[in-house]
Amino acid sequence: MLDQTYSITRHVCPRNCYSSCSMLGYTKNRRLIKVTGDPKHGYTKGLLCAKGYNYINNVYHLDRLKYPMRQYPRGSGQWQRISWTEAIDTIAGKVIELYHRYDSHLSLALNKYSGNMGVLHHAMEGFFNGLGRTSRAVGNPCWAPGMDAIYYDYGEHQTSDMEDILHAETIILWGINPVWTSIHAMNYIYEAQKRGAKVITIDPVYTETAKKSDTFIQIKPGSDGAIALAVAKYILEHNLYDAEFLTAHTNGWGELQEYIQPLSMEEALQQCGQTIEAIQFIAERLGRNKPAYIWLGFGMQRHQNGGQNIRAVNALAAITGNIGRKGSGVQFGQRTTWKFTYNILNHLPSDNQKAAGVRALDFNNFANDLQMQQDPPVKFLWITCRNLITQSANIQQLKKALQSMELIVTVEHFLTETAQYSDIVLPATTQFEEWDLVASYWHHWISINQPAIPPYFESKSELEIARMLSKRLNEFEADFSAFPSDFTDEEFIEQEFTDEFYQSLQIGDWRELLKGPRRVDVPKTAWEALEFKTPSGKIELFSQQASENQLSPFGMALLDNRKSENYPFTLLLNHEPFRINSQFQNLPSYKQINKEPSIYLHPSLAKEKGIRAGSLIRIFNENGEIMIRARYSEEVNHHTLVIHPNHPLINKLLAFTPADMGEFITGGKGNALNDLQVNIAKL
Amino acid sequence: MAKKLGFLVNIERCIGCHACEISCKSFYQLEPNMRRRRVTELPEELVGTPVRAFVSTACNHCDEPACKKACPVGAYTKREDGIVVHDQNMCIGCQMCGKACPYGVPQFNPVKKKMDKCSMCYDRLDVGQLPICVEKCPLEAIQIVDYNEVEPSNSVSVVPTFADPSITHPTTHFILPKPGKQTRRF
Repeated sequence: MLDQTYSITRHVCPRNCYSSCSMLGYTKNRRLIKVTGDPKHGYTKGLLCAKGYNYINNVYHLDRLKYPMRQYPRGSGQWQRISWTEAIDTIAGKVIELYHRYDSHLSLALNKYSGNMGVLHHAMEGFFNGLGRTSRAVGNPCWAPGMDAIYYDYGEHQTSDMEDILHAETIILWGINPVWTSIHAMNYIYEAQKRGAKVITIDPVYTETAKKSDTFIQIKPGSDGAIALAVAKYILEHNLYDAEFLTAHTNGWGELQEYIQPLSMEEALQQCGQTIEAIQFIAERLGRNKPAYIWLGFGMQRHQNGGQNIRAVNALAAITGNIGRKGSGVQFGQRTTWKFTYNILNHLPSDNQKAAGVRALDFNNFANDLQMQQDPPVKFLWITCRNLITQSANIQQLKKALQSMELIVTVEHFLTETAQYSDIVLPATTQFEEWDLVASYWHHWISINQPAIPPYFESKSELEIARMLSKRLNEFEADFSAFPSDFTDEEFIEQEFTDEFYQSLQIGDWRELLKGPRRVDVPKTAWEALEFKTPSGKIELFSQQASENQLSPFGMALLDNRKSENYPFTLLLNHEPFRINSQFQNLPSYKQINKEPSIYLHPSLAKEKGIRAGSLIRIFNENGEIMIRARYSEEVNHHTLVIHPNHPLINKLLAFTPADMGEFITGGKGNALNDLQVNIAKL
Repeated sequence: MAKKLGFLVNIERCIGCHACEISCKSFYQLEPNMRRRRVTELPEELVGTPVRAFVSTACNHCDEPACKKACPVGAYTKREDGIVVHDQNMCIGCQMCGKACPYGVPQFNPVKKKMDKCSMCYDRLDVGQLPICVEKCPLEAIQIVDYNEVEPSNSVSVVPTFADPSITHPTTHFILPKPGKQTRRF
């Protein structure tokens, strides 16, 4: 029996994941001894994934950074432990020096991403805002095209509660693999199946989720819009559309009909690689077996036509009246529960000379934008919540661009590839050593994160680092930094709430979250009032806004023929279950479960190329070349390759290929990561 | 009549997420590399290529436990309800049980110098709680069944890679993916 002398604290997994699990930490003698799920969380219900139970090994990992460190020369591996005072003084000194050199803060750049999604992890953005106008990576590599697409069609980003799927007759898992990336959803899907729903998976890969489905429809990568168009044509020709719904709740049905009528069914079928029987099957399920619930993954929008792909499926759901009713809808991602004030970002300098705002460096084309800025050039780079060097495109160019930095600071838990490329590394606390608040981009629960244990060795929270820097800068020069150095963590949390938000959570004070996560009071079924936030107030099958942004007003289109003769194969980068991008891959248990990185190809292609199973092959394109072990898989088609990304390896092949959308919502176009065209050869 | 308990593992529901394995390891704070439950991938021929299937196994709480027979100090007992209990206080760490078990279940704890295995969380069962793996499986794919009460329909006592059940008569049963329910592919 385990003894009962431990204390229990509430935490949230802050990783970039659908579930944003609330967790309980068990601490004894100031040491975290185990982590379990929080049964009070209404979506995850006390259940974690293997990564979550493994957090102990993350917190007490032998490689975890203990002290601030400085490396000279950069990249040499010659690290020296330094004190926090020295670290902060060096950084503050550089900030002041650069300000006087350029008479602006634009030579300072921040590159932050989703390594920690907590609200208080906006501290560094807040700190940079508090200096004045600075340079910043703006954009999003994940969901940018889809976010724009959803916005054009509905005007806001909403999802239904997962319970809503239990009302569905038809479930389409479109380009999503929840068995690997969203395990909590599977129980709801199984339950819906038990109640009679038919589950269809549409995907270029015969995924683990496809294998749990009733029907699998394999399409060519990026052809989601083409198959949607084929289905729409079939629906139109066979009167399977919902005329009443179309009249009452959509804008542009007439125009869309005129637009799709002349398009060729044969060509659509050829592009998606499917048969008319499959089209008929989907059309009849959508038109006759309602409600139909569609869940769109993020991979299908990482194409040059990614936003269009999402808009095409939105249109299909609208045409068949599968929006706003229990058990229907198109689910992608939501932002309606993120009702925080983001006050942490709003401590701006009072004098006009240092007017706030950012000089945007394209997140997805960061290497290029970093090099392009000349007036003034970027000389100081702060990297946090991400592993820039492994998770970027154009890595060689990026490394070159970084050479012109005078100071690179990385905040990290481990000496990652990025940390190894920095001058100063600051050790960060984990979610077991700090306060935070986390919402989800999928479900509707908000959880609080409290500290369980003191910071590991000399690690500090980002908020504390921001406060220390701000304080030191103001000691050097009065009123230099507006970021408050005298608010406590709890005061920062308090400022993130409004009365309206409290009401929506049915609490009177944020401390009540310590008793358990709360659901934000949003409708259980997305768009149940059928009042859309678009200019027309309806679902926009024809979008004037898209048109004004130089896009097709319709969400449906056939593909441009963009296959390259030299690089005829599409390499898909599919997420795998036991890590999140570069996170968790240094855990011993991950190394045990995970095999050597491999490329999966169809045996027919292997035969054609003379590649034996298990042999090393070359994958190459205009950006680079890698060697990797080949494995046979009947889960992909002849022209598609799949890798579960080992980013330091695979990103050598990646450049920035702009997707069609993303600027409107995220400030920059998405990167068409799944349009990666390559060729292969045996060694 | 006493209960006759055993694990019932539903391979049709299992998604191979390893949560059972790691939640158990975390709960009992096992040393690195030690597991009381393990998830393994089954050969594809089980349900026909290319359907992959996973099987989660722990101690099989056998009716004729080889570990118990092999233990020179009597550290193993089989409870009335069928749970095979290993008493670490009595264990001398000779590892004979680990060698005798056809499933390789008992493991050596290099820190305590004792053997270690799944206890079906009997102390939790005795106070009305579920074993950790049963409680923490996100797919409700692991159950404890009382074979005196229910004969699990469509369950089998052997899967590929699993040792011949006639040796120790394990109590673990498995539900295989329905052979007729092959996904329809377009």
